Amino acid sequence: MALDMSVLGRFAKSYKAGEIIFCEYEPGDAFYLIQSGKVRIVKIMDDIEKTIDILQPGEFFGEMALLEEAPRSASAITVEDAKLLEFNKENFEILMKGNPQIVLKLLKLFTKRIYDQKRRFMILTLPEDSVKVADVFLMLNETQPDTDEDEQEKTFHSSVEDIAHWAGMSPAKCHSVLNSFAAQRRVEIFQDRIVVKNINDFHRFVNSRRRSQKGV
Amino acid sequence: MPKALSFKANSVIYFRGDVADKIYILKDGRLLLTSADIETGQEIRELIQTGEFFGVKSAMGKYPRDETAMVLTDSQVILFSVPEFENLVLSNTRIIMKMLKVFSNQLRRIHKQVQNLIGTNDDKKPDEGLWEIAEYYRKNNMTSEAMYTYQRYLTYYPEGVHAVNATSILQKLETYVPTVSDTSGKAGVNELNISSVSDTSVQEETARGYYDAVSLFSQNKFVDALKAFKKIIDEDQDQEHIVKSEYEMGRCFYMLEQYDNCVRHMSGLIQKYPKHPDLKECLFYIGQSYQMKGDSLKAKNFYTKILKMAQEDEPVTIKVKRVLRKMERGDE
Repeated sequence: MALDMSVLGRFAKSYKAGEIIFCEYEPGDAFYLIQSGKVRIVKIMDDIEKTIDILQPGEFFGEMALLEEAPRSASAITVEDAKLLEFNKENFEILMKGNPQIVLKLLKLFTKRIYDQKRRFMILTLPEDSVKVADVFLMLNETQPDTDEDEQEKTFHSSVEDIAHWAGMSPAKCHSVLNSFAAQRRVEIFQDRIVVKNINDFHRFVNSRRRSQKGV
Repeated sequence: MPKALSFKANSVIYFRGDVADKIYILKDGRLLLTSADIETGQEIRELIQTGEFFGVKSAMGKYPRDETAMVLTDSQVILFSVPEFENLVLSNTRIIMKMLKVFSNQLRRIHKQVQNLIGTNDDKKPDEGLWEIAEYYRKNNMTSEAMYTYQRYLTYYPEGVHAVNATSILQKLETYVPTVSDTSGKAGVNELNISSVSDTSVQEETARGYYDAVSLFSQNKFVDALKAFKKIIDEDQDQEHIVKSEYEMGRCFYMLEQYDNCVRHMSGLIQKYPKHPDLKECLFYIGQSYQMKGDSLKAKNFYTKILKMAQEDEPVTIKVKRVLRKMERGDE
């Protein structure tokens, strides 16, 4: 997207690598668009700092602050030296008039975030841990854009901790679920990846449970 | 071009689960959206007002429709393709703003539902949350992050329950000498920024020399580091970095296994600066040196002295306890 930088230059801010842009629980009144550099979104959960996402140039963060001044739900820390455009309520108007494309992009981002959260919610409402884990793989599969539809075997470059996070369970519990899947030869667990031998098998498994859940 | 379409009463414009790229505005008539609550499965009904958009999210994100759109009375709608819709909102920022508000509310709501479900209900008060994060960073020796967070706490909650505590911790951190674990550059750079506010260029140069020396130390080049720290002391320019360098010299002696020098240097340092921020660490190095020299009695004396001075959760306490446990096991 071509942006008119002459208008936006005044919103630019430079950050050094490792600098905190904002911290979880801070009141938020600005949101950011990354021009260069990378930003890590982290949350401290159970006394562990967990990376939720690593954002690239062109991506937004902190956008929820724009419309509701609620506390930040995560911290944003630069991974490398970064240049960001910072917008708040006051200058949002200027942004919007000069660059409505940015706002449109923001609208699309909201659409995606709502969808992602709903999808995650569907996983969390499933009745058993094993079904939740299987559905996490289905979700990850849906978001892998370039996969071959006919291919049954799927490789996921996720850690057991990542899967546990999405499934809303402890890593230990997730390990035990995955181990039992592995014993049934439904998955293979490697250091850097997890291979699901037959993604359709997981589809059938999750669908049957979801139906039975609705029947209740 | 957007198209006007007519629908008879009780007909369906689209079904839940359909994938399509069309967006609509209700121009005239009555229209009902029905979806299922993702938590309970219960049906949610929403009447669309004339002039309102529907089908926006699923069309823009290319997701399956969440809801079924059914007309209740004979109705007229205007249909947009996604590019047509985008052109419309680009020329009318009022619409886009309104949509952002609606989406933002939805996002907030679903986010909260998810949080409730995984049990990490963020009902924690923000001042308490911010304080806990600062404490987390401090306990993990992430000094610059801790400083940032304490400062934020004091900015937003100058009268907060932890304000006094935060102020005193912050003061301590400001004189904190980075240890090996956080001399990776990051902490050093930030500390430079903080101290440079009132500094002259000479002091900046000293600071740079100091951090160069620290990085030599972190690369295990102890002889070079020792020389560099000594140089800072000899140049006698900036008190802050002299005090820090004195301490670092002691650590170099220890790393170089010059235990007598270490004991002598650290003892001298304690006498000269009885309020040195790293006093307990100095004592620890003395204890370690005695232990290396085989004098466990003297070492133990120093260790117990530290335990009397230090608080339960300080890193030095943990280190001392570990060493003492090891010594006891060795004695058996």
